[in-house]
Amino acid sequence: MIEIEELSLSYGDRKALNEISLSVPPGAVTGFIGENGAGKTSTFRVLTTWLLPDPSTRRVMVDGIDLLRNPREACSRVGVLPEQLAFPGELRVHEYLRYRAGLKRVAAKEISAETARVLQAVNAADMTQRRLDTLSQGYRQRIGLADALLGSPPVLLLDEPTRGLDPRQITQFRQLIDELRGNHTLLLSSHVLGEIEQLCDRICVISQGQIRLEEDRQAWTKRLSQAGRWHLELSEEVDQAEVTRWLKDQPEIVAVQRSDHTWSFRSDSSLGTRIGEHALESKWVIKELRSEPATLESLFLEWTGTESADERRVS
Amino acid sequence: MNRTIGLLRRELLSTFVSPVSWIILVLFLLVMGANMYLSVLAVQGDLRQLVVSSYGGLVFWFMFLVIPPLVTMRSLAEEQRQGALEVLMVTGISDGSVIIAKWAAASIFFLTLWICLLPLWGALSFVSQVEVGILWTTNLGVLFIGSAFIANGILASALTAHPLASAGLAFTFNVALFMMHFFANLFRPGDIELLWIEHVSAIHHMVDELARGILDLRVLIFWGSLTVLSLFLATRVLEKRRWS
Repeated sequence: MIEIEELSLSYGDRKALNEISLSVPPGAVTGFIGENGAGKTSTFRVLTTWLLPDPSTRRVMVDGIDLLRNPREACSRVGVLPEQLAFPGELRVHEYLRYRAGLKRVAAKEISAETARVLQAVNAADMTQRRLDTLSQGYRQRIGLADALLGSPPVLLLDEPTRGLDPRQITQFRQLIDELRGNHTLLLSSHVLGEIEQLCDRICVISQGQIRLEEDRQAWTKRLSQAGRWHLELSEEVDQAEVTRWLKDQPEIVAVQRSDHTWSFRSDSSLGTRIGEHALESKWVIKELRSEPATLESLFLEWTGTESADERRVS
Repeated sequence: MNRTIGLLRRELLSTFVSPVSWIILVLFLLVMGANMYLSVLAVQGDLRQLVVSSYGGLVFWFMFLVIPPLVTMRSLAEEQRQGALEVLMVTGISDGSVIIAKWAAASIFFLTLWICLLPLWGALSFVSQVEVGILWTTNLGVLFIGSAFIANGILASALTAHPLASAGLAFTFNVALFMMHFFANLFRPGDIELLWIEHVSAIHHMVDELARGILDLRVLIFWGSLTVLSLFLATRVLEKRRWS
């Protein structure tokens, strides 16, 4: 598991992470989402000890190891698939993985078996003799993940794992991550929110170096169902003021907006029947009643604001 | 230790499969072979003078100053630029181990170049008397001074993410060690206050001592210490990234 308390990281005068606190339970797949420059990669870099956090940081625990006191031990509990894969192209897949296994302190007599295991896990067992510079993007990602899996680290950090993959490869990669669920604690950074929605048990939203939201699937699913938008169009004879009043009187309806004889508002998906019943009683003629379910994308924009970090920096 | 050896093996493999390394090797042998041929002509049959002539001329120094930056320029700079250094460091390997492995790999390649010249000396020893002792002390100088130049190259490579800038910086370090003595002799010859320069001068140590068969332990200790200092500084530079 990962426990972060008041983690700060500065690049010169700029604070990339501002006292963030985050908890990733063991065995869960947690989606880590945020705009470019929000602080996702910086968080990963602290967890891999590539960067040291500011001295004000209170606690960073990785699989029960205090990263601030024992960085090398903590680092050995983490497998990482970085956003930017840099392989030594002259090596063959098995040579590279054997070399990496040695660096990760896999016992010499177990290196062959471990290399075969991780290649099997990522469905790339037939690639052992291929040179790394001849691999397709999909296989590069797989070998990167195989590398992260070497030594069975309890924590896996995957930074944009499906970047540059075609739809078939993305599906295969998602299956692969699904298979790792339960055996590893996964922190998955991605801009593809559909992927996060599909794969993750929890989500954590980061923006401008601060955690905006941390929720499990149940909580965010409920939030999505409540955040759906309804559109109601009535005939011209109805009393617009009366309709608006009735809608505003309903406790579960919020953000009522009107344009001529069309109303839009937010509420959960169970409202349709009640609107229908009330329309019958009040003799409203419904021209159209439809609901648009909320998506993680729409919620993400709400949580983080509509302007991206890059745009903020430019302005 | 196992990790350092593992990284060293990988570095050696990468070095020896790289076409650039083979181009350097071929050019080195061509230039040094031609230099030796011209030296044989210059000493007019007195092969006892051949070592001083071969290892004291401009061609030798040109190769000696240019090759270390070429060998080391990609070692850290290129990896920093490509992100490979981050991939390497997140395995938990220490900064010192990375620096030592990269320095050792570059030094082994550099020494290989000079070892490739030994058959030429072997062939010459069949036709005339070659001063084996002088050849030994000279190659000891190549080993120690070359290792320090390689260490300077590793330091330069740690300081920048651009291979060419790294090569330029390393070349400047090494030329400074070379030129200091040259300028002192040029502008203030015989100045007793500048005698200390001889103690840190690569030219003086090589041409006036080692290539003449004089083995002064202080010389080896000086270049060994400079190597350790440069590697220590390179390690500190690598550590500094964590506070970026």
